[in-house]
Amino acid sequence: MSSEEIDRILSRKGAIVPSSGFVDSVMHAVRSEASTPGPIPFPWRRAWPGLLVAGLAVVAVVVLSVVQVVAKPAVFAARLTSAPELRTILETAARFGVGWILLALLVALVSAKFSMRLAGT
Amino acid sequence: MVSASADQSDVERVLAGDVSAFEGIVRRWQGPLINLAYAFCHDRSRAEDMAQEAFLRAYRRLANWRREAAFSSWLFALATNLYRSEIRRVPAHTVRLDEVAEPRDPRAIDGGLEELDQERALRNAVATLPLKYREALLLFYFHDMDIPAAAHSLGLPAGTVKARLFRAREILRKRLARTVPQPRLKEAR
Repeated sequence: MSSEEIDRILSRKGAIVPSSGFVDSVMHAVRSEASTPGPIPFPWRRAWPGLLVAGLAVVAVVVLSVVQVVAKPAVFAARLTSAPELRTILETAARFGVGWILLALLVALVSAKFSMRLAGT
Repeated sequence: MVSASADQSDVERVLAGDVSAFEGIVRRWQGPLINLAYAFCHDRSRAEDMAQEAFLRAYRRLANWRREAAFSSWLFALATNLYRSEIRRVPAHTVRLDEVAEPRDPRAIDGGLEELDQERALRNAVATLPLKYREALLLFYFHDMDIPAAAHSLGLPAGTVKARLFRAREILRKRLARTVPQPRLKEAR
């Protein structure tokens, strides 16, 4: 089959005539779209002061903890060594990253609760 | 030109809040959009669903139309993008080339039937092309063999579309040479 024959056959326009209800169906969908309220935007203006305070609080806790451990390592170690069972538990937990898991779960719970409160449910 | 000014007028009205003005756009472009969708999916019902989704998407993104390009170009590019995604998600039903019915008696072929079989074989061969070649071919013929228009709809450089068309035709000729019988010479009386 030559290129000319291919062009001749494939350039014949399709004969699909839209069904009688097509326009109405499209306009129904468009009107539904138009009447649906838009998504609720995140209230950044109200949220940022609280987020800022929370962020600063977390940073402050971390910094103070690090300073305390660095400044008085002996006191920190003594507290740990005074309870051998506690030390074993803490060592095991540290090996499996339990601390990070708990922190992630806590953040997820707080986020979910906060979101639900914002959405009004 | 009449269509272009009518499109612009309807778009302005829709953006100003008159949703019913979108009906003019739907009436003008329903045929081409449904036929383009049909070229991709070969299913009339699905073609109308795809075209409806294309119109809905056009309504949502109407504010994104930049006036320097023709509205039809913007609309076809949007529809093509949608149809390509849809076909990738749910491929069209295709018929294998060797399942195309052969003429019963090659000696008694009526010219019209032979042509119909050739057309059927060609269209089935197009449906079995790799997607990127098939898309280039469909858009090229949809846009009346206008390569820049087809390239714009596909979001590809014109050179890439040309190369894909060339390759598509090569594949088609090879496949059709294996399945479509060559016409026999008429016997002298």
